[in-house]
Amino acid sequence: MTALIVLLVLACGAWLLAALEGSLASGRLRLMAPLYAALALLGRESIVPRTPDRLLFETAPVLLLVAAVLGAAVLPLAPDLVITNLATGALFVNAALAYVLVALIMAGWGPNGAYAMIGGWRFLGQLIAYAMLIVMPITAVAMRAESLLTTDIVASQATLWNVVYQPLGFVLFVAAALALAFLPPFDLPIAPGVLAGGIDAEYTGVRRAVLRLGRLVLVITLAAATTAFYLGGWHGPLLPPWAWSVVKIVAVASGMLAAGHYLPRIREADLLGWCWKLGIPLALANIFIVGVLILVIP
Amino acid sequence: MIEVTKDLPRSRDGLPMDWIEVPFGPFFPGLPGGLKLKLTLDGDGVARGTAESLVGIFKPPRDVRADGFVEMLSNRMVLAPASYRLLACRALEQATGTAPDETEADARLGALERERIASHLNWLAQLAQQIGFAWLRRRAAFLQLWVQKSGHQQLMVLRSELQALTRRLRQTPLLESRLANIGRTAMTADLRGPVARAAGCGEDARAAEDAYRRLGFEPVVRNGGDAWNRLDVRLAEIEQSLQIIDAAGALGDAALLSVGDASGEGNAVVETPRGRVALRLTLEHGRVSDAQLDTACTGHIGLVPELVLDRELGDALVAVGSLDLSPWEVVQ
Repeated sequence: MTALIVLLVLACGAWLLAALEGSLASGRLRLMAPLYAALALLGRESIVPRTPDRLLFETAPVLLLVAAVLGAAVLPLAPDLVITNLATGALFVNAALAYVLVALIMAGWGPNGAYAMIGGWRFLGQLIAYAMLIVMPITAVAMRAESLLTTDIVASQATLWNVVYQPLGFVLFVAAALALAFLPPFDLPIAPGVLAGGIDAEYTGVRRAVLRLGRLVLVITLAAATTAFYLGGWHGPLLPPWAWSVVKIVAVASGMLAAGHYLPRIREADLLGWCWKLGIPLALANIFIVGVLILVIP
Repeated sequence: MIEVTKDLPRSRDGLPMDWIEVPFGPFFPGLPGGLKLKLTLDGDGVARGTAESLVGIFKPPRDVRADGFVEMLSNRMVLAPASYRLLACRALEQATGTAPDETEADARLGALERERIASHLNWLAQLAQQIGFAWLRRRAAFLQLWVQKSGHQQLMVLRSELQALTRRLRQTPLLESRLANIGRTAMTADLRGPVARAAGCGEDARAAEDAYRRLGFEPVVRNGGDAWNRLDVRLAEIEQSLQIIDAAGALGDAALLSVGDASGEGNAVVETPRGRVALRLTLEHGRVSDAQLDTACTGHIGLVPELVLDRELGDALVAVGSLDLSPWEVVQ
């Protein structure tokens, strides 16, 4: 039952995000547009490029979706609403989302096309930039909770949310989450004006529908992780706990979509430079500051 | 391992890599339709690149009636029809020894500047598509459509919107760092228009025209010669064109004065949104028997191989985009 509820939240969140994405492009919020777009994709011929690596080509969209859903499996919507409350939950999120890279490399290599291949390799470079900025802020969050259980992490924020306790970690985590979900301004693997869609370029029909769904679910999963790690998860007045989680997840996911709308795409070299020269020292500083705070304020 | 890589081409860093030749265009999201780039990619760096126009003009229309010549030339240049209409009218008027009165000249000037604003906005929308700046793409495309169909009064109403856009772009985080040091060119004789003015050259055909001098026109010049300077020049020219339109007081596309059966030779120069173009024509008994066109884009397209060499793919495409090439204006 819990699994069904979480999957339902993911599906509804993906729907809402697709509508929001459409409204950012067209200027009009049309809630039924994702349904029409999905039906159009499902009804369209699913073309297979010439001489693809069939296994990678077919597996990549499914793997992206599976990785995103696995990440969500350990994130709680309420104290008793989590698919599996692993003792290493916070690390598991990172481990599950590591397969996003695998899926994107496969989606780039599989179709045997230049635009897709460059998109796939670009994401590998992007991973080198963002990977540490996902792990290090999670470390600081787990330090405060003294646990890797995601429910414990949320419980540790009952009096003060981590976004206030460790704002630096929050900023770094959200920026890295944007890069992991290859959302603008970090959409280097798809870069429509440079790679004509990149890893998306060779997918049509039902395969493209799954690839898009996977990406939307990935954004929801990362928004859920941000909510659990920094925004107090289910904590909030009046509304039931699950409702607070859903409200926060939708707000974070919408913010992630909207943020890139007003910025140009960052260059790969700049992304690597900023992440390693600025991001990682700041993440280390964040861990140090949180450590000191834990010692000074028990 | 050695056998696998022994015959592969070497990158500048000495690594053996498979090089792949990839076409970009003639229909590519980040480039104008009709422009085809062929880039040899070494990883996501560009090892070689060429550009060609698939819709370039082979020769201007000849042996046609004068009014037909004006229409054919302006219809052919889909990204700057008003500029080429004005060019043809001026050349024919010189051939026949006629000239428009001051009011008509000012109205023509207003229409030319309106086209400059619309063209620069169109370029901004295309640049935004290349660099993934969704808000700018929508905003610039929206304003371009409005400017194109606006009269003098409406343009003055739009003035604050356009000024807000230029102001905001100069303050947008990451934009300067995204464009700086990309597509840098030294000043050469081939450069014209905003590309030349961004490289420190004050060359502008408008500076030699009485109507512009009367309005105190001075070319916008920047130093640096990279994509950021080209953006800055075009933003400043949008603001300058608004001032010129305000001072001109009217807008009107050039209309050909009566040519009759006149004969003669005519030369004309117009500063189009992409740079100076020159037309030389021979009129025989009211028909254009010969015409030669010299455009800015013909020279600029030749810069592409040098600009893309050893650049990362995204930077290479931004460098090409920053030239604002109109494939229709390439004389082949």
